[in-house]
Amino acid sequence: MNCEVCQLKELEVEHFEIREVLRCILHTIVFHRALGLVRPKDIDLELFDITYVQCGDIEVEKKIDEKIEQFVSWVEKHPNKKSEICLSFYEVKSKHPSWFTNKIERLDWEQWHINLNVTQHPKPKAHSGKSHHSKIVVDPGESASEERSVRRASLEVSLREVLFQIIKFVNEKKDHVPPITESVIYFPYEIHIPSSSDSAFGMDMLKRIIQTGHPTMLS
Amino acid sequence: MASSHSNTHTEGAKMEQIITEFFAKSLHIILESRSPYMSSRNYSGEQAIWSPSSSSSSSSGVRPRDKWFNLALKECPAALENPDIWRQSNLEPMVIDVILVQRPLVWDPVNCSPKKDFGRNISSKERCPFSWNSDQEELGCEAKTEKIIERWIVQYESRRLRDNCSGSRRSSNTLHMMYKKSVLLLRSLYATVRLLPAYKIFRDLNSSGQIRTFTLTHRVSSFFEPFTRREEAEMLLFGFTPVDTSCGRLCLSVVYRSSLSDISLESSTPMSTQFIPDYVGSPLADPLKRFPSLPVPHGSPSSLPFSRRHSWSYDIYKASSPSFSFSPSPTHSESHASISNPSSRRLPPMSLPPHPPETSSIHKKNTSFDEYYPSPNFTPSPSPSPPIYIPGNHLSKSLLRSESAPVSIPLAKLASSPVLSNRQNLPPSPPLKGTRYGNPRTDTSTGFVQIGASDEKLFSLGKDDIRKYSGMKISSNSSPRISFSRSSSRSFQDDFDDPDFPCPFDVEDDDMTDPGSRPESFDPRGLLCDPHEPGGLFPIRKSQDAAVGELVRMLKKAPPLRQDFSTSVCLSQDKMSSSSLQEQQASASIASSGLVASKTTADALEELRGYKEMKKDLLLSQAGRSNTSANDTCMQKSTTG
Repeated sequence: MNCEVCQLKELEVEHFEIREVLRCILHTIVFHRALGLVRPKDIDLELFDITYVQCGDIEVEKKIDEKIEQFVSWVEKHPNKKSEICLSFYEVKSKHPSWFTNKIERLDWEQWHINLNVTQHPKPKAHSGKSHHSKIVVDPGESASEERSVRRASLEVSLREVLFQIIKFVNEKKDHVPPITESVIYFPYEIHIPSSSDSAFGMDMLKRIIQTGHPTMLS
Repeated sequence: MASSHSNTHTEGAKMEQIITEFFAKSLHIILESRSPYMSSRNYSGEQAIWSPSSSSSSSSGVRPRDKWFNLALKECPAALENPDIWRQSNLEPMVIDVILVQRPLVWDPVNCSPKKDFGRNISSKERCPFSWNSDQEELGCEAKTEKIIERWIVQYESRRLRDNCSGSRRSSNTLHMMYKKSVLLLRSLYATVRLLPAYKIFRDLNSSGQIRTFTLTHRVSSFFEPFTRREEAEMLLFGFTPVDTSCGRLCLSVVYRSSLSDISLESSTPMSTQFIPDYVGSPLADPLKRFPSLPVPHGSPSSLPFSRRHSWSYDIYKASSPSFSFSPSPTHSESHASISNPSSRRLPPMSLPPHPPETSSIHKKNTSFDEYYPSPNFTPSPSPSPPIYIPGNHLSKSLLRSESAPVSIPLAKLASSPVLSNRQNLPPSPPLKGTRYGNPRTDTSTGFVQIGASDEKLFSLGKDDIRKYSGMKISSNSSPRISFSRSSSRSFQDDFDDPDFPCPFDVEDDDMTDPGSRPESFDPRGLLCDPHEPGGLFPIRKSQDAAVGELVRMLKKAPPLRQDFSTSVCLSQDKMSSSSLQEQQASASIASSGLVASKTTADALEELRGYKEMKKDLLLSQAGRSNTSANDTCMQKSTTG
C-alpha cells in the first residue's frame, strides 16, 4: 500500500489563532477520512469567515482538542518557532507472525503535514510616545491594529487555500485509501505534535518514515 | 456462463442504482446549503437524536437515504421536489443553477410575501426561477435582477464497454472501489459547498432576520445556456476528480463567481419591532409577564425593580401589572411600571445593558414614587437608592441577590417560580401587619435604633421570626393576616384591573387605616435581608427610618396576638435567667422588625415575672404536698407500726 504524503501550505498564525486553525484543518482531514456513516456538523469559525465540517464523532472531537492543547502547551514553551503537526492514518498489521513473535505494527497509508509558523506580534497600543515626534507617522497603535487585520485577512485566504488543498488531495488520491468497513466510522489515525526537543521530533519523523515502509511496497 | 452473465447484470443494476443515488445525493448536498428557509441549517433536533457513534444499521434515526454514501444529511425538501425532472436517464446531466435574486430597495413587505418558495424546480429555463407571489409582479416587483452565481454540473459520461466484465469478482471490486470513491467525492463536495462564496449569502439569509433585498434560489434542469464571455470572465471553475466506473465516469464540477463583492448585497430596513410572544418572560412562558410590553428603559431591566428602595416588594409581587404604579398619577404609573415592570425581565439576563446610564431616570422615578407615599414620620429621601447593577446572571439569581433586603422566604420561592403566580410567595407582611407594639413609641425608637445599629442581627432574627410568625399567623383566622393574604392574592389578581391598588399588602381589613402608609409599611421587610446576603441592604438609612415608622404605626393598630406572644414568652422563659438582656434585645429587635409579640417588652417581662412567681408557688405547693404526703406516710407507718 502506498503512503501518500501531503504537505500543506505553511500558515503564519498568532498564538490565539492556533486552536481555530488547527481544529479547522484537522477536522476537515478527518471528515474526509471518516467514510463510515456520519452526520456532519457545520462549524463556523469565530476568527475567520470560514465554515468547516466535522464528522460529528465525539471521540474524534475530543482527541483533536487534546492534541491541540498539547500543541499549544508546546508552543508556549517554544515560542516563535516553526512547527509541524503530522496527522497520519494507519493500518494495524501483524508483521511476520510466528510462534515467538507476533509483532503488530502500524503502517501509515497517508500522512498530512500541517506547517505552522507561530508568531507573536506586538499588540496594538493606543498611545505611543513617539507619535508626537512626527506629524507624518501614523499612530503605531493604529498601524499595529491595521497590520493585525491585514494579517488576519491574509491568514483567512491562506486557510481557505489549505482547505482547498486538502479537498484536491482527497479527490486526486483515492486508490490508496483502504476499503470501507461497516463497523468503522473513521480510519484509525494519530496526531503527532512536536515533542519537547527538536531532536526527538526528528526521531519521531524518522520512525514514521520507517514505519510507512518502502513506497513501492504493496499490500 | 449464465451465472456470470446474471452477476454482471446484477452488478450493472447496482451500478445504475449507485449512479442514480449519486445524483440525488449531490443535489441534496448542494441545495441543502443553497436553498434558504427550506433547509434548516440549524436543524439540531434531528441531529441530536441521531448518534453517529452508533451502528449505522441499528440507528433508529437514520433514514434509508442517509445510508447512501454514509452521509446523513438534514432535511431538504428542495432536493426532493420533482425528483423525476432530471431523472429520465442517468446519461442526462443535472445542471443546478444557484441564482442570486436581487430586489429593488423599494419593497413593499406587505404585498411581497417573505415566504419564498425557493425550492421550485423547473425543467424549462424560460420559467421564472423563483416563485414570488403573482401580486408582487403586479405591483411592479419585476424590477429584480437575477444572476447565476453558481452552476453545478453532475453528469455520468458513459463509454463504450471495451471489455465486458469477465468475472463477478472483478466487477465487484470495481463496484466497491467505485462506491468508495463516490463516498470520497461527496465528502469533498460537502466541504466545498461551504467554502464557496455563495455559502456566505446562504448563511446570512438563514440566520438574519432582516429583510434582505436579495435572496437565493435555484434551478435544476438537464440542460443549460452557456454563459456569456463576460460572465465567464467572472467565473471560476472547480472540477472534482471523476469517479471511474466500469462503463463510464461520474463527473462533478462547479462554475462559480469568485467574488460577490461587486453585487450590491444590502439589506433593507430591519423588520419592524415585533412583540415576541413566546420570548423568555412572556406571558406564555412566564406568568409574570401577563401585561403588555411596556417601553423598558435602556438601563438594566432587572435591576430596575431593585433600585427602588421602598417598593421592592411591589416589584416582586406587583411588578407585572401594567397599571401597577407606585404612584396614582397616570403619568407616574406608566413610568413606574416601566421601571418596575418585570416585563423587563423578559429580556434575557445576558442581554442586560449596563445599568448606570439609566440611574438618573430610575432615581427620579423612585423619588416621585416616594413623594406620592410620604411617610408621616420620615421625609422622603431625595437621594434615591443606588442602582443595583445585576450582571448577566440568571434572573432568579439576580432577584435573590438584589432582593437580599427582602425576606428570604419569598426570595427562595421567587427563584424557583414566578412570584405573581404563586400566592404562597407572599411576603411576610402578615407578621408585620398583625403585630403591634405595646409601646410603639418607645419600642419604635428602640427598634429604630436597633434597626439602624444592628441590622444584621435584626435580619437574622427576623428571618427566623418570619418563618415562625408567618406560620403561626396563618393559622389564625381572626388576624388580618388572613385578610392580608387574601388581599394580597387579590392584589395579584387585581393588579391589572385596579390601578389604585398600589400595594400587595393593601387589604380589605379596616385595621389598615392609612392606605398611603401601606406601601411603606412593607419597607421594613426590605430591611429583613438574608443574613447570607450582606450586600443586599438598601443603604439608605432614611428609607429604613421611614419604614420603621410606618411599621410601628401599623403595629399600633394591629390587634394583639396574645397566643403568639404567650408562645414566644414560654420559649423565652426557659432562658430567662441568663438571657434577660438578650431577651430584651431580642424582643426589642423582634419588635422593631415587626415580627414581635403583640405586647411590649415591658409587658412581656411583667408576665414573665408573674409566671415565675406562679412557678415558684407551684413548686412550693408541690414541695409542701410532698412533705405533707411524706409526713402522712410516716405517720401512717408509725401508726401501723
